[in-house]
Amino acid sequence: MNKISTLFAALLIVASLASCSDDVSGIKQQAPPTANAEEGLMSTIYKSPQPPPAKLIIAAADSVDRIKPPQPGEEVAEFWQGRGEVGRYGGNLTVAIFGQGPKTFNYWASNDVESAGLCELMFDHLIDLDPWTGQYCGRLARTISISPDKKELTITLRKGLVWSDKRPITADDVIFTLNTIVKHGYGNSSYRDVMSLEGQFPEIVKVDDLTVKIMTKKPFAPILNALRICIAPKHIFEEVTKNPVSEFTKFWNINCDPKTIVCSGPFMLGRYVPGQRVELVRNPNYSFVDKAGQRLPYLEKFTETIVPDQNTEILKFYGNEIDFLDIRSVRGIDAAKMKSREESGKFKIYNLGPDDGTMFLMFNMCRRKKDGKYIVDPIKQKWFNSLEFRQACAHAMDRKRMISNVLRGVGLPLYTAESPSAIYIDKTLQWYPEDLKLAQELLSKGGFVKKGDDLYDADGHRVEFTLYTNAGNLTREGVSVMIIEELKKLGMKVNFQPIDFNIMIDKTENCTDWDSVVMGLTGDKIEPYSGANIWKSDGRLHMFDQRMPDKKGTVNVTDARPWEKEIDECFNGGATTFDTAQRHQYFDRYQAIAYQQQPFIFLYSMLNLTAMRNKVGNYMPTAWGIYNTPKGSLHNVEEIYIKGRK
Amino acid sequence: MSVPVYILKRIIQALPLLFIISVLSFVMLKLAPIDPLASLKANPAMSTAAIKAEEQRLGLDKPNEVQYFLWVRNLVTFNLGISTSGSDVTELLMERAGNTLLLSVLTFFFTWLVAIPAGVYAAVNRGKFGDKFFGILTSIGMSMPTFLLALLLLMGALATHWLPIGGLQSPDFYDLDWLSQIGDEAQHLVIPVTVLTFVGLAGIQRQMRGNLLDVLRAEYVRTARAKGLPENKVIYKHALRNAVNPLITLLGFEFSALLSGAALTETVLAYPGLGRLTLDAVLTKDINLVMASLMLGAVLLIVGNLLADVLLKFVDPRITLE
Repeated sequence: MNKISTLFAALLIVASLASCSDDVSGIKQQAPPTANAEEGLMSTIYKSPQPPPAKLIIAAADSVDRIKPPQPGEEVAEFWQGRGEVGRYGGNLTVAIFGQGPKTFNYWASNDVESAGLCELMFDHLIDLDPWTGQYCGRLARTISISPDKKELTITLRKGLVWSDKRPITADDVIFTLNTIVKHGYGNSSYRDVMSLEGQFPEIVKVDDLTVKIMTKKPFAPILNALRICIAPKHIFEEVTKNPVSEFTKFWNINCDPKTIVCSGPFMLGRYVPGQRVELVRNPNYSFVDKAGQRLPYLEKFTETIVPDQNTEILKFYGNEIDFLDIRSVRGIDAAKMKSREESGKFKIYNLGPDDGTMFLMFNMCRRKKDGKYIVDPIKQKWFNSLEFRQACAHAMDRKRMISNVLRGVGLPLYTAESPSAIYIDKTLQWYPEDLKLAQELLSKGGFVKKGDDLYDADGHRVEFTLYTNAGNLTREGVSVMIIEELKKLGMKVNFQPIDFNIMIDKTENCTDWDSVVMGLTGDKIEPYSGANIWKSDGRLHMFDQRMPDKKGTVNVTDARPWEKEIDECFNGGATTFDTAQRHQYFDRYQAIAYQQQPFIFLYSMLNLTAMRNKVGNYMPTAWGIYNTPKGSLHNVEEIYIKGRK
Repeated sequence: MSVPVYILKRIIQALPLLFIISVLSFVMLKLAPIDPLASLKANPAMSTAAIKAEEQRLGLDKPNEVQYFLWVRNLVTFNLGISTSGSDVTELLMERAGNTLLLSVLTFFFTWLVAIPAGVYAAVNRGKFGDKFFGILTSIGMSMPTFLLALLLLMGALATHWLPIGGLQSPDFYDLDWLSQIGDEAQHLVIPVTVLTFVGLAGIQRQMRGNLLDVLRAEYVRTARAKGLPENKVIYKHALRNAVNPLITLLGFEFSALLSGAALTETVLAYPGLGRLTLDAVLTKDINLVMASLMLGAVLLIVGNLLADVLLKFVDPRITLE
């Protein structure tokens, strides 16, 4: 095993922050404590050794199982070469997914993780990320180039690509996917919205059979991330897009005939057994080869078993019925026990570092009226809009204890709006110390008075509010209980009410009838602009002060705070430049504001843990090579193989 | 009143009942503060336009009365609508109904096969070891939550590797020949059928025992014994026939539970049945799917009761249909 162990991230932070102690209006920064021994279990982040960059192999277009050198004058095809070791053919990898299973096999209509992740095994992305460096690279594409004025992107496809029905994949498919399916909002219109800048969809034209040009009015950096989209077969979908948009979601739904699905990815749909499993089979026409020139993928079958919950999934893993537990399947409470079973169960646990999600406590800062009545009681409004109040709460959080008690060490404390694993994290904002004395000082500065054990505001009202979180999520419930304990020390009375997830979202999004909530959101390690929905003052998930759209569906922001406006500017600025240094400046600024204002009091990021059976070869997970499950951390699924059987 | 007329009358009576049930269910679902699109809305990658489009597709943007009216109109044409996942509700139900039916019928078969003889045996041998043994067994069955028993058996399966852990088929099911396929499903069915049988057993065995004990105390049984009839004839010909009536009513209720009675067990055991589907649908407020399941349950209950009443008429000639 080429395992390189790295130190716990906190140790690195110590080094980078050794001299950092400036005081940002009441926020003290200090070096965090080093990792302690009890947390050692999950303290090393696994890093697969970085292989050399992917090589482009040119071979005869009529190569079958093994590539042939091209003869002069013969048609050629371009293959990406796998970066792992040469494996062996055959076998079946069984993974599990909890929940209801896929909802559709139509990638472009999917709006849930399970369906999208499954489709990512069947359809290849146009461009993708290098899992080791986080840089954009070609997938179906061979090259991507950006014009000097940054307004034109040229994407060239590889030669000789074919669909699973052997029809060629060309620029027409790309143009069709972007200009018809995406632009006209067939299926999930989020694809269109992430590609648009100020509501304008880029102009996309065909240059030749393999080349397309994408032109935007202004430089628009997030478009690269948006182009990590799967390409649809035009010869199949052309008919469908002649029907109304509503018909599109029904196409390739879960009841369709698997044989009608034409793929470009390593696997094709073999069979779907409702409520039980999805069976994928090898696509013999996939355009990757291994180092010996053999066509990938190695696996004959990829089976996804559908289980109702995590407990069953883990039981099935112990029972040898599944080979792999992907990210989000291993919880903190299972990790220690699982670790002790590694040897007898013939598997290994991989810690891929913090995930892209953030967990936070937030207060309802809404100051508006609805039907003549304040949405938030004016007394509470004052507290929640008090900067000192929020900072005091942030200082009261004992994140380390949350992580060791509730997450059992499977998490990292979080102080910033970006997850610690994000490329654009502002590394200078690292530590929000647990300091009850400072918290109390902040509260008195904000006019709060502590009488005996109880906290009163300047007008003599007892500080008492409700805290929601989604019931059934044991981790969040545990964290909430700890938060209540901490806030009690400051004299606040917090009434805890776990409610169903769908009810909680209804509260935060629709009727805005809530005081405080503990919840989490997924993030994006690569493109911070993906957080625009959350951070921009008119955002759909601007939950700490959700502004509702009017009848026409537009959000008119009339009461944005100065710092909300500044965050808006940071996002607009960061979107319209490709310059990495400038982008860092913009996104660092927004994180600094969020850090100072604490609209979300960030608590922790979970660690991504996976468990893979030892019999599986070429499993090379990386922190950036993570997709929607079930593709999950199997970024090189085409190279995964089952080692020799007795 | 002849039997067909009676059935017809009952069916006509059932229609307003179904209507009331549907209105009540719909109103309650609508009142529940659950956002059916919560998981979409909590995803920062979803744009406002995408969520709007989804609301339109599901008809959630229309007023509640209109939604109910549309639902009824669709129902009349046997169209149950689409679920939030976009699939046809009828297809979703059909996919799962077979699995649940398989489980329920097997359970039903084993429960009654064991419960009736056990009840008779316990009544006849009242106070003896066998009676006490079944008494303890059924007490456990009545007091133990199904999910707990299911979990315990799962743990047992994990420890011994004798049985598969949940589900209905192995991943390689379709590579097997038909005989092995039956064996595979049978293996997967052992735990769920055992759980449901064990729990269902208690009620019926006790009912049978109690009824038979009542009847055995009756005058005509004493008369039969005094006449010198063999004990077998006394019990099986005279006493049992009179004791069986309440069980037929129970049978009607069992019928209604055929498609919906095992939601918890299905969930714990990853069984691909209707109960699990419905439970998830309720939690995510998948209105069409929940309404369809509730109506299906209601129809089955009505049919089950009707069946029981008609059956009673055949078993006991003293009963008249009114």
